Amino acid sequence: MFKKRNLRLTLVLVLAAIATLAGCSSNSGNGNSSTSNANEKKTASLAQELIYATAKDINDMNPHLYPGSMPAQGIVYESLVENTANGIKPLLAESWEISEDGTTYTFHLRKNVTFHDGAPFNAEAVKKNIDAVQNNAAMHAWIKLSSKLVETKVIDEYTVQLVLSEPYYPTLLELSMTRPYVFLSPNDFINGQTKDGVNGYNGTGPYRLTEHKTDQYATFEANEHYWNGVPRIPKIKAKVLPAGETTFLALKKGEVNFVFTDDRGTDSIDVEAMKTLAESGKFQIVRSAPMNTKMIVANSSRKDSPAAEKAVREAIWHSIDREAISKELFNGTESPAEALFSSNVNYANIDLKKRAYDLETAKKLLDEADWTLQPGDEIRKKNGHALIMGLYYDVNSSSQKSEAELLQNTLKKIGVQLELIGEESTSIANRRSTGDYDLLFNQTWGLAYDPQSTIASFTSEAAYYHTTSGIAKSDELYKKIDEVMASTDEATRKSLYKDILTIVHDEAVFIPITNGRVTIVAPTALKEISFKQTQFELPFEQMYFE
Amino acid sequence: MSGYIFRRSLLAIPLLLVISFLTFVLNALSPMDPAELVLHAQGVPRITDELITATRTALGMDQPFLIRYLDWLFSCLQLDFGNSYVTGKPVWSMLGPAFLNTLELTILSVVAVIAASIGLGIVCALTEGRWLDKSIRGAAFVLTSMPSYLLAALLVWYFSVKLDWLPTTGKETVQSYILPVSVITISYAGHYFRIVRSAMLMNLNEDYVLFGRACGLPESRITIRLLRNSLQVAVSVFCMAIPIILGSTVVIENLFAWPGLGMLSVKSILSRDFPIIQAYVLVLAAAFVVVNTFSDIINALINPKLRENDL
Repeated sequence: MFKKRNLRLTLVLVLAAIATLAGCSSNSGNGNSSTSNANEKKTASLAQELIYATAKDINDMNPHLYPGSMPAQGIVYESLVENTANGIKPLLAESWEISEDGTTYTFHLRKNVTFHDGAPFNAEAVKKNIDAVQNNAAMHAWIKLSSKLVETKVIDEYTVQLVLSEPYYPTLLELSMTRPYVFLSPNDFINGQTKDGVNGYNGTGPYRLTEHKTDQYATFEANEHYWNGVPRIPKIKAKVLPAGETTFLALKKGEVNFVFTDDRGTDSIDVEAMKTLAESGKFQIVRSAPMNTKMIVANSSRKDSPAAEKAVREAIWHSIDREAISKELFNGTESPAEALFSSNVNYANIDLKKRAYDLETAKKLLDEADWTLQPGDEIRKKNGHALIMGLYYDVNSSSQKSEAELLQNTLKKIGVQLELIGEESTSIANRRSTGDYDLLFNQTWGLAYDPQSTIASFTSEAAYYHTTSGIAKSDELYKKIDEVMASTDEATRKSLYKDILTIVHDEAVFIPITNGRVTIVAPTALKEISFKQTQFELPFEQMYFE
Repeated sequence: MSGYIFRRSLLAIPLLLVISFLTFVLNALSPMDPAELVLHAQGVPRITDELITATRTALGMDQPFLIRYLDWLFSCLQLDFGNSYVTGKPVWSMLGPAFLNTLELTILSVVAVIAASIGLGIVCALTEGRWLDKSIRGAAFVLTSMPSYLLAALLVWYFSVKLDWLPTTGKETVQSYILPVSVITISYAGHYFRIVRSAMLMNLNEDYVLFGRACGLPESRITIRLLRNSLQVAVSVFCMAIPIILGSTVVIENLFAWPGLGMLSVKSILSRDFPIIQAYVLVLAAAFVVVNTFSDIINALINPKLRENDL
């Protein structure tokens, strides 16, 4: 009996549900007018809030480790100095002096700066933070300063001194980076350290992290005590949206109102979607100056590989139709690159030989290098060896695959066979460090790190050692790199960089394809949208809603 | 009966052991050095040999394979699945909340799937061959043949953007449940209601129906009797729907930014966070085995013939 009553109840519920659904659909006809009102209300209430979509959670915000989201860390933490288009400018340090020998940096700290938890920012806090970073130096091997910094001295409450083992000119640049030399309240340290985790995320930046729901959202509120004036957007929310389709719909609905190119250089919505949003009049698209260079890296040190020959590398360079790639593959979001660094990179505005897309020149170069095409053959040969090379691309990057296919097709026309191998980015990184490749896709570190970090990695086994060690002038190149890092004089540095860039350009070991940029899609009412000298951060504190 | 339940449950143990071993072996077969993976996953910009050696020791990678497996297995039995490569947090502290979120979605969807399947199954069986039956089956055919991401995008576009009734994504309000549950329900109920329908139709031709009608029993009582007999077939199908939906929410969760197992697993696979992937596979496999065992037991309760045949 009980069971029967249950079943009857289920039936009634099912029927009720069907009736409700039917009722809903008959209403939909006049649903539109009321909803457009609701939409407007929602947009109005959002006007004070900036909600950006991010494919990944902000993750661990510990600024002395690397899993965290850089745009989020960038608004919470600050460094001593800032890298701008006009050079290094003061940030938490008001001024500084560099000793004659270039090994001692004395910083005069800004007064009246407090961490988000109220703790004072002073020389003691600076020392504790830098010591905590140095205590985990192996983790920071990529940043050369970590291996040259010997001691951090507290001179007085607002003066701190960094002592290096030898002069190192990029010191200020490396201190300006998003991590690791940024400052966390000492109250958040665990046993005086940060390497095994922290108790909180209190920085000195314009925004403080107020709420974080893993894989859902993170909320940042304006720091009311910010030393440089309270930011005009009171609240920023980072909403996790892993799928581009729904990100676009959420933008249309107004649930998120801001998207930008992420740290891997990918946009969360495609170019068509951006255009649609801009055409609606509610959104604007803002593009930055070139931020990095996407390129093909050739292995010059593998003697049995054709890629070890300069003529072959130059022929490949001449076989890439950069204009077509920029237009067809990227719809203009990336621009053709003619050299390892674009001219807006420090020290890179120099005259270099342009190698245009020109298959006749490519053929001539190969002929002159004795890679000849016998009648009836499809592939060029030299001393019985066929001109075959492997090109490794990241399987997760759709653009790399298309570029590789395009190049394979073009090279076939001039008698070069390219074998395309798609692999995970980690195994490509592994090939790069062991030298097990002919050609592979890569990109420069980005505006904040170029040219110094990319060039420093020419000598690093883990990075571009195999790319550069086989060229004719490699010894000269490495000597100049050592000299430039230790140089204390701007004119010398300029001329050294010019020599370095000319050597690698002439040898054609880094074959540029396009320059990546940061693209922002934001409401038309948002003003003062600008960029920093890095693709990993945005100056949210300067933006405001009109 | 209790003997049957006991024996059936015992059988699940070796199965789970084999699964755990396979998950561990698959991880160990990966050509990448786990220490390097950890460092990559943590976003370390430059990985040095010194760092790799230190990480390897910290992970206990210097131990032989079997010792590592047994260590891991015993820890798993205590719900300690190790630490995430990326965040360093215990796996369970990440998998637990995600599992609960997916479970919420699954249970709601399963309830909706069962209700819709039974409701539509009955309606179709009773109106067999008429326009209602045909149109429901036609609509179900169209909807189930549509990929779920397309269906989801269409529903979001219509109900969230155009009508502005529901949020597009997230799990912040009660309304956020409606769209993901609807998409799952449509995809599964479209298949399952046919099972109910055909079982009902088979039973309709049975003698007891004819006999009941001949005795002048009211049609409603006959329908209820019919449904009860027809549902026996559907029980195991519905039971298996739980782990199937649990494990197939990847697309839905990523589309709706639902912070569950599907989203976590994709994230972990992309960053090669092996401890999480292992635990995810193990939890899902365990869910399959447990639910399968349950459905066998339920069937045995309903049908004594199965008990007599033993296992």
